[in-house]
Amino acid sequence: MITIAIAKGRMQDEALALLARADIRFNGHSAISRCLISTDQTGEYRAIFVKPADVPVYVEHGIADCGIVGHDVLLESEADVLWPLDLGIARCRLVVAGMSPGQIKSKGMLRVATKYPQLTSEYFGSRGTPVEIIRLSGSVELAPSLGLCDVIVDLVETGRTLQENGLSVIDVITESTGRFVVNRASYQLKAHNIARLLNALEQVASGVSA
Amino acid sequence: MRYYVGEEARLRRRVEDAAMSVFDRWAYEEITTPSVDYYALFEHGMGTIEAQRAFRFTDQDGRLLTLRPDVTSSVARAAATLLSDRPRPLRLCYAAPVFKQQSQSAAEWRRENTQLGCELIGAGDASADLEMLLVAAEILAQLGLQDSCCITINHVEIFNGLAEEFLPDTNAREVVRGLIDRRAIPELNHYSSDAARCKTFADLVHLKGKREVIHSAQDSISNARSQRALGAVADLWEALEMRGVSELFEIDLGDVSSLDYYTGLSFKIFVDGAGSRVGGGGRYDRLISNFGAAEPAIGFVLNLDGLTDVLNSEKSQPQISRIHTDLKQ
Repeated sequence: MITIAIAKGRMQDEALALLARADIRFNGHSAISRCLISTDQTGEYRAIFVKPADVPVYVEHGIADCGIVGHDVLLESEADVLWPLDLGIARCRLVVAGMSPGQIKSKGMLRVATKYPQLTSEYFGSRGTPVEIIRLSGSVELAPSLGLCDVIVDLVETGRTLQENGLSVIDVITESTGRFVVNRASYQLKAHNIARLLNALEQVASGVSA
Repeated sequence: MRYYVGEEARLRRRVEDAAMSVFDRWAYEEITTPSVDYYALFEHGMGTIEAQRAFRFTDQDGRLLTLRPDVTSSVARAAATLLSDRPRPLRLCYAAPVFKQQSQSAAEWRRENTQLGCELIGAGDASADLEMLLVAAEILAQLGLQDSCCITINHVEIFNGLAEEFLPDTNAREVVRGLIDRRAIPELNHYSSDAARCKTFADLVHLKGKREVIHSAQDSISNARSQRALGAVADLWEALEMRGVSELFEIDLGDVSSLDYYTGLSFKIFVDGAGSRVGGGGRYDRLISNFGAAEPAIGFVLNLDGLTDVLNSEKSQPQISRIHTDLKQ
């Protein structure tokens, strides 16, 4: 049996739809279900539903053979897993956003609130901008207007939440899509099954981006 | 930090004894190296980047000491100095704890791991490469793991030849190497504007499997350096087939980690039930010259704690008794 860790939240529905197109169906499962584990009708695959940041953890430890998670989460986690396939789902951008575009330059020290401290420090570090990073775990868009920080680094899909909080995009750090990741040991020990799943997903995923 | 008590400790001891008895059958002599040594030794032996993971402290005169982060560096120094007059090849083995700083979240998180390892020094021919793989396979078989393990083999010169041909810039070379190591096909397909070049490196990731890999690789690799290395892999594979052990092995040309260290054959050992590899090794012909006269060398290690965890998990209980009876005979 192959265990697939799937990131809960915005990734989950698109991931399940993609798997279904590859004929892997986890019955009775939806975003509102509280069930965290489900087996497909053939008994060949098992899905576990965990928080996005935990997907690389489960996969790196080999508890899950593979996983579906955003590229942003992978870069932030630095987990040692394989990234053989871009699924092209849940496309979004990781951006720097603030009340006014000039803010990055005018400060001697920028205060940045984010859920992505690692990527944020890499981004500002490579530009030589001194920053103080404030780690938050949600509703990051609120932070500038309340005076916690000057700018935020966050994921943006449509940009509506930013607008509603009086923020605009200052710079795009990277694009992010759902990635299929594989545990290093499973890649070798279950080579045949993983390769089959990879092929099936590659075919339906190329249909998505085309 | 980990205790082993009672049955678990006995199992761990049996795994160690099983490996050491295989080394003994192949005429490997045990060597015990110092647990505390000068940091500079490991900078020379493992390379500065790997050595940085060692725990460091200072001697009374201010020189930097460390708890050994590997055994190979010490063995290499001994071969070049203490044992320089001994006839070659030297066959040395050990069971010894090594200490490394680990990030808390990583799967290989333990600071202390006991390595079961061996080094074959002064033999640079294909039969030495084969001997290493056979010793590793025999230990796994002795532990009853022959049906649930996989040893992946590669030759570092295959990538080095391609890098020489297509990636003159060392930064680009490291980037591409990292992408291949992560099997990051989407990034490999776009790392350069030259589509044919991208395909060459993306193809390496797909060159994984048994004998057929060699034929596919011959079609897509043209430079002489890579071809020579591929020939060495083909010969090695044939030897493994002749001995009837090729079931345990797989060729994986996408395994391009630790290229700075190894100079020829490199291999990694995976066992069902362990989420990360339980061992690995390869040829490191440049290492010993750091301590004395240059000579070829090859070696590998198995992680005793990783193997014990696998055998200790419930589904492997029958295998434990098998080791037990093996040793009683």
